[in-house]
Amino acid sequence: MKFHASLALAALVAASPAMAGPDDNSLTIGLGEELPGFDGYTSTSRDGVVMTRHLFDTLIWRNPETFEYEPLLATEWSRIDDRTYEFKLREGVTFTDGSPFAADDVVGTLTYWSNPENGARSQSSVSWIETVEAVDDMTVRIVSKEPFPAALEFVAGSLPIYPWDYFEEVGAETFNREPVGSGPYKLETAQGGTTTLSINETYYDSPKAASIETLMIRTIPDDATRIAELLGGGIDWTWNVPADQVAQIDSVPGRTGVLGSTMRIAFIGLDAAGRTGEGNPLTDVKVRQAINHAIDKAAIVANLVGGDGEVIDVPCYPMQFGCDVDAAVTYDYDPEKAKALLAEAGFADGLTVSMTSYRDRARAEAVQAYLAAVGITANLEMLQARASFSGWREGQTEVWYGDWGSFSIADAQASLGNFFDGSSNDGFRDEEVMALVAEAAGTVDEEVRKANYAEAIKLITERAYMVPMHTVVMGYAYDSALNFTPNVDEIPRFFTASW
Amino acid sequence: MLRFLLQRLIVAAAVALTVSVITFVLSHVAIDPAVAVAPDSATDADIAAIRAQYGFDRPLPVQYLGYLGDIVTLDLGTSYLTGEPVAGMIAERVPTTALLAVFSILFALALAIPLGVLAASFPNTMIDRLCLLLAVAGQAIPNFWAGLILILIFGVNLQWLPISGSSSLAHFVLPTIALGTFAMPALMRLTRAGMLDVLASDFVRTHRAMGLAPAAILFRWGLSNALLPVISLTAVQFGFMLGGSIIIESVFAIHGVGYLAWQSFSRADMPVIQAIVLLVSLAYIVLTLAADLINAWMDPRIRSAA
Repeated sequence: MKFHASLALAALVAASPAMAGPDDNSLTIGLGEELPGFDGYTSTSRDGVVMTRHLFDTLIWRNPETFEYEPLLATEWSRIDDRTYEFKLREGVTFTDGSPFAADDVVGTLTYWSNPENGARSQSSVSWIETVEAVDDMTVRIVSKEPFPAALEFVAGSLPIYPWDYFEEVGAETFNREPVGSGPYKLETAQGGTTTLSINETYYDSPKAASIETLMIRTIPDDATRIAELLGGGIDWTWNVPADQVAQIDSVPGRTGVLGSTMRIAFIGLDAAGRTGEGNPLTDVKVRQAINHAIDKAAIVANLVGGDGEVIDVPCYPMQFGCDVDAAVTYDYDPEKAKALLAEAGFADGLTVSMTSYRDRARAEAVQAYLAAVGITANLEMLQARASFSGWREGQTEVWYGDWGSFSIADAQASLGNFFDGSSNDGFRDEEVMALVAEAAGTVDEEVRKANYAEAIKLITERAYMVPMHTVVMGYAYDSALNFTPNVDEIPRFFTASW
Repeated sequence: MLRFLLQRLIVAAAVALTVSVITFVLSHVAIDPAVAVAPDSATDADIAAIRAQYGFDRPLPVQYLGYLGDIVTLDLGTSYLTGEPVAGMIAERVPTTALLAVFSILFALALAIPLGVLAASFPNTMIDRLCLLLAVAGQAIPNFWAGLILILIFGVNLQWLPISGSSSLAHFVLPTIALGTFAMPALMRLTRAGMLDVLASDFVRTHRAMGLAPAAILFRWGLSNALLPVISLTAVQFGFMLGGSIIIESVFAIHGVGYLAWQSFSRADMPVIQAIVLLVSLAYIVLTLAADLINAWMDPRIRSAA
């Protein structure tokens, strides 16, 4: 649904600023998906993750500005050996139900959720934990099954700590609806499509301390309605705004529209392993290289991505640890070369492939057109994200224009390690690359990891398993009076926002 | 009458069973439920664990029988997404959807009957054409688009009415118009056709000849006879309102069953989808049955034909 004419119309009438927000220091947020619950281990949708960051604290956190790990519920931490981290816990912290925070909360929460029987949805966030033990009342140790380089990343991002007595008393199902945490906000009510969080008045002197007192979260599934609410002042903040509407919103007085850069990378996966069937043309490296030469990535980024989107030549996010941009073999836009490569591969008369995508039809169609120009007919199907992704995973798609957010983890393990590991994501199945990536995942030696990832990137790009495309931008729109900074990890932090 | 009722009930039960099979098969063929339940970041091991946990690894007929067994014992299951009982999730939202459907059908009737009578009173004139134009427009304009235009005019520009949500009666005004407009044309055309039939009939001519007031003929004899088919169509349209509310509730972010259906479709929350499809088709079946019965009761000709 396009909203162009309507936006222009709306811009004509000066939108009256929503005074409710700054007046009572509240923020009304419009989200597209209903929140499934508030437990961070089972509510793993993006919006769910955003909420858990506001209700709960983790032991440590990654400062969104410096990207450094900083103390939160733990004041210090150290590595005891390859498999063991020790955390000194912060004194004097209380949960919002008044109970004091101590080692048994950490031990209880992490032990419970690392047990696969308890159904944490993202097992990879917890399955590396072997045991969690209390050294004393304010010290805990987390022991991993194998040496696990990404341990701190998960501790900082995916492992909220719950008040264990309360959790044990009410059980996981009730906790999901009536959570108690130690985060900057606490849950007031959740009903009729509106969730209200109020500031945690007993919060310690934390870097996550909030300024805005009340967050009201409304679910409005339709993009156009959500934008209309923002223009009409019914909500103060929203995201997932289609890129072509961000600039128009920005031109409305009192409203700000931004396309924020993210860690999410878009790429075109090619069925190099031949999962869709024997004799698939994409199993031929020349065909894959031809596709790399056929697509003008710079033009797509300039015209269809916009904002801070950047062309990438690597199968990972360049800021990630180990994502060595210089190791990549790059392909310039050269349709003639592409045609020559296709002819060499025996496809001088062209070929036909199946293709799916989901996020942006215009971009997918641009790729389709570039392929057509060198003689490749791509039968494009635009699907819902999940259906498209699972088509790739199940080996039903030859060409998949998808993207990957690396769970917001700044380590190539979260990108390369998820697409070149022989799992169903891996449509390439290169033994050499798989061995390099597996070795890097199993060691904490940074030099070995860097060298392995660099070699893997070289092989992946040389053999043209995918077409690395660009970073994905996220469209945000909000009241211009709001101080808000988008983060590259696609997790808005309202505790840092203010009027 | 009893035999008629029994026949209808058997057909209704067969339809309900067919719908449940189709819903079940389609929703399992469309997407791997384990992938749908798993978070985006799930690894193969995560998905395999979920598959075993929810029993998706069993053969489809076995899963269906298990599902049917639960339905028969009135257990609609729990949502994959929220872990809450489906029955409770739906029950919480039914009043909102029912309210919207009732408002919309009343709105549709309030427009359709006067317009239908008006058109029939002046057949093949400008007035008739104008009514027809309204009907065509109402039918042809997609209701999500109508919804957006209403939002733009009354919500954003004039700021008279709230744009989205369902927390007060004012929130229902725009969605009622958007949904009701869609139901109006069929009702209007049927009213018009019925009125034309009745007005051309012998007894009306006799009444006219007797010098009865035109208004009395129109309403006392004309409308009361013409309304018979409109009643059964209203029942069917009411069913459409429940189905059509999927789009309208999503556009207006109304916290009802249709909105729940949309959320569940987009995230493949199978138990909720199945329960809603089954409930909506049951509502349809009950409504058509009710329409049949009302008609049979009001018109002896139908009763004897059955």
